[in-house]
Amino acid sequence: MSKPIFELVDELPTSGLTVSLLNALDFVAPGEWQNTVGFVNTIKTVTGETDEDLIQAIGERAVYLFNDKSQGYQTALWLYQTVDGTDKALGAAALANKVGETIPLLGFLNSITPKPDKAQTIDLTLKIVVELVAFCQINGIPGDSIGDFVAALGEYAGESLIRMVALICVDGILPLGPDFVQKSLAFLSSMNPQELDQNSTFKSIKDAIPGNGIGGKIDFIGQSLDSVQGWMNGIVSANALTAQKVLNNISGFLDFADDKLDYVSAFLDVSTNYYEHTGTQTLARRLIERAVAEI
Amino acid sequence: MNLSRGRRILASLLLCILLLTTACAAKAPSRFDAVQQESTKQKSGQAVSKNATQGSKLNAFFPKSEDGYNRVYTQEKKGFSEANLKKDGKVVAQLAISDTTSTPGTASKYANSTKTIDGYPAVELGKTQTSVLVGKYQVKVISKDPLFKASEREDWIEKFDLDGLSKLK
Repeated sequence: MSKPIFELVDELPTSGLTVSLLNALDFVAPGEWQNTVGFVNTIKTVTGETDEDLIQAIGERAVYLFNDKSQGYQTALWLYQTVDGTDKALGAAALANKVGETIPLLGFLNSITPKPDKAQTIDLTLKIVVELVAFCQINGIPGDSIGDFVAALGEYAGESLIRMVALICVDGILPLGPDFVQKSLAFLSSMNPQELDQNSTFKSIKDAIPGNGIGGKIDFIGQSLDSVQGWMNGIVSANALTAQKVLNNISGFLDFADDKLDYVSAFLDVSTNYYEHTGTQTLARRLIERAVAEI
Repeated sequence: MNLSRGRRILASLLLCILLLTTACAAKAPSRFDAVQQESTKQKSGQAVSKNATQGSKLNAFFPKSEDGYNRVYTQEKKGFSEANLKKDGKVVAQLAISDTTSTPGTASKYANSTKTIDGYPAVELGKTQTSVLVGKYQVKVISKDPLFKASEREDWIEKFDLDGLSKLK
């Protein structure tokens, strides 16, 4: 049983590494993301309503919808949480070592290890697949309808858009370069299924990925990646995104030496939970939008 | 002897108070606690009725894109379908049809309605919502932009195929 949805939204932090990271990426999607936290506050923000009885009714319907397992909201949240794999202890230690406005990366070089490209590619592709599956669980388009998902990507805004921007920057460009999608596709086509099967995140979420057996699931992952590549490459080229440009913006809250760039992405990967954070916000928004229409 | 016993009692009392207050502080009561308890008595099916119409069957009754307004479907669940209404790339309103079989309270609020739109009982709710009841379905238009007024919500409700929807079982 998940925690109550109102608690999850109430407990979203207003500061910390995840929030700093997402704010630093605002340059890609200016003004798109406001860190809306608190369940009642989210209801007010999403609906524009202020009457307390009405807010209560909307919230109660949203709680009902979330708690009905057949509606898929809990599965979506679990996927967002599971794919993040955050090391919360490291994140807390980093904040404790904060000097002035920035966190020195130097103190953490021993506790983080840059991932080989293969592992990084698996991470990236699993996050994309989770986005697709969670989107369908929340919005109800059948779980294998990649075409609808791609059409809906054009509608991505707010917390959903900044999540995709963070995915492109932190899990794509920083570790793999601006051609991260092509690299990942090439890797997938030559991947030994066992390599995927041994990945701990894949092990946890594989039942939620469409496709028969490991081969079918790899095909689905490849199709997902293939279908979002145009959209993702569009964001990269429209903003002329490079690793250096991303790093310049991240250096506002993280202090690192230029020869340790590998470590920046590894550090952000384990110390932030941007998927869970913005995923909870996306879920809350959709629940509330449905609740207000149904009451 | 008596004094130290008294102290011990006092100490244990203080400890109890400390534990009680910190336990309470750890989790503040929420205005949604009651509904949380009520809605977790069963794991599945408590929010959406088994007999509710599939969202895919509701899509056909939505207004089409027109006059610079673009309709984009956003949610399609059992008993519910929703679309964004966009103008110049901005969401100005949301359009929704829901099956009130799952939410009996929704249908009953029309009992006191004095207003109709296209002959169907209508209700205005809060600052942003206008809806009609068509058989067991609620059709609602929700403003997402303050410039999208109640009169426009009514206009867009009329653009739904309400008579067609009234024949859907």
